[in-house]
Amino acid sequence: MLPQLFVNGLIAGGVYSLVALGFGLIYSTARFFHFAHGAVYAVGAYLTYAGWLLGLSLYVAIPLAVIGTAMLGALIDVGIYRPLRKKNASSLILLLASLGLFTVIQNFISLIFGDDTKTIRSGAVTEGLPLFGARITPIQIAIIIVSALLILLCWILMKRTKVGKAMRAVANDPELARVVGIEPDRVILFTFALGSALAAVAAILISLDTDMTPMMGFYALLMGVVAVIAGGVGSIPGAALGGLLVGMAQHLGVWKIPTQWQDTIVFLILIFFLLFRPQGFLGKAVKKAAV
Amino acid sequence: MDYLLHILILIAIYSILVVSLDLIAGYTGLLSIAHAAFYGIGAYATALLSLHFQTNFLINMIFGAVGAAALGVIVAFPSLRIHDDYFVIATFGFQMILYSIFNNWIGVTRGPLGIPGIPVASLFGFDIDNHWKFLILAALFASLSYGFVRKLVKSPYGRVLKAIREDEVFAQSLGKNVNSYKIQIFVIGGALASVAGNLYAHYVTFIDPTSFTILESILVISMVIIGGAGSLKGPVVGAAVLVVLPEALRFVGLPSSVAANLRQIFYGSLLVLMMLYRPQGLMGAYDLRR
Repeated sequence: MLPQLFVNGLIAGGVYSLVALGFGLIYSTARFFHFAHGAVYAVGAYLTYAGWLLGLSLYVAIPLAVIGTAMLGALIDVGIYRPLRKKNASSLILLLASLGLFTVIQNFISLIFGDDTKTIRSGAVTEGLPLFGARITPIQIAIIIVSALLILLCWILMKRTKVGKAMRAVANDPELARVVGIEPDRVILFTFALGSALAAVAAILISLDTDMTPMMGFYALLMGVVAVIAGGVGSIPGAALGGLLVGMAQHLGVWKIPTQWQDTIVFLILIFFLLFRPQGFLGKAVKKAAV
Repeated sequence: MDYLLHILILIAIYSILVVSLDLIAGYTGLLSIAHAAFYGIGAYATALLSLHFQTNFLINMIFGAVGAAALGVIVAFPSLRIHDDYFVIATFGFQMILYSIFNNWIGVTRGPLGIPGIPVASLFGFDIDNHWKFLILAALFASLSYGFVRKLVKSPYGRVLKAIREDEVFAQSLGKNVNSYKIQIFVIGGALASVAGNLYAHYVTFIDPTSFTILESILVISMVIIGGAGSLKGPVVGAAVLVVLPEALRFVGLPSSVAANLRQIFYGSLLVLMMLYRPQGLMGAYDLRR
């Protein structure tokens, strides 16, 4: 039982890490909690579903959905958040706008596709491959590999490329970044596209493994938020570890605690971190700005 | 006619919720999206007490308020250490924990099945058993809450709250115990919200966790923000607008599932538009733009 719970934790953790990574990157450059990220995530899964309904092969539908979701993220930034930034809106205003946006996008999805569960799984459900006393399906292996790979790629992007440097500069001080010729608006736009693409990948992986509902984004977002806070806002290894912590806490918790309380454990972790270590276990003490 | 009375009753119940949240978010500047948790405590206390102990309306209200006040102390606690958007995230966590208790503590709350058969309110042996009587009761409590909050914010006590909202460190430098004020305001605001929950439970006579979700919390904070946080009339107007306008969808003859989605889309877009063009709300005094 324990190895299986561990594998389940790893799979969930991988997906939460990807959501947390996008959410955290957006927070560190744009400096507000982009709640609509959860709805954007669900759009990724539903675009794939729409492509699949139209008869596209998944190999075509998935990349198209990822690109489409990235464009939606960019559109949200240009259409709503950028005008708000122009007016010097506080992070609370941006947060409230993102809550509104979340409601709008999620309800659009259920208006178009309905509230019932949709699936893009093809073929019969097969028993997983045995692995150290646990069972794991090929798609679950893909989830673990893809999330690990994407986290690594993002880390390289941030540390080794010019775009990454610009993102770190804007996260550090947008005014100073402007002085050295970095346009913060363009960097934030790029971050929104990148973060949304990561969310789309996470959502597609989950919907290939299980299924999708319009509410799926809300749940993933919650776990992503907890992962970001626990891991440390703005840290890529932090987001990865935070995601893993949430996934593990949820699934290993089931070992001793009834299943229906697994989410409660996660929110207790959230409150614990907010109270005693709001910068997370890997974050720097950025809290000064909020005091 | 009952339909019209129903709308007015909803406005009265939401008015209690918005003035209590306005006290916390608008006057003290502690933006919270956990208000449906307090509302739910009031409703569940009412349902459980009146079914298991046959207690009357006022006793239920007192116990609900005590429970919500205790929760208020807990929810206020993070606000002593973290601020602004981090505090919003903390309230979000509390909202989720309370919802999962309503939903998962099956032995007590019956979980998603909900609690049916809550008796109608009765006051001094007089049953509040039709829409008219209930409207009078709800309007009475709405005006009492409004009057109470108005009295509070106009008093020297209320000026301290506003000082905390504007500049916490400054309020502290004047010798005000900011932490104690924050806890008190969550206790008062939470207890008031539970009164709304009590009325709601006696009114609909059936409650389940879906009435106390995060979306409900977002709806209540939207009413406050759209109406204008930090004013008293504003949030009440916001509540009336957000209750009445979507009702128009009912008359267009859309299927109810579509209407429910459109209603949510309407709330969401209105919130986004207000943030873009009028962040202080329709009649707000507190400018979130600082």
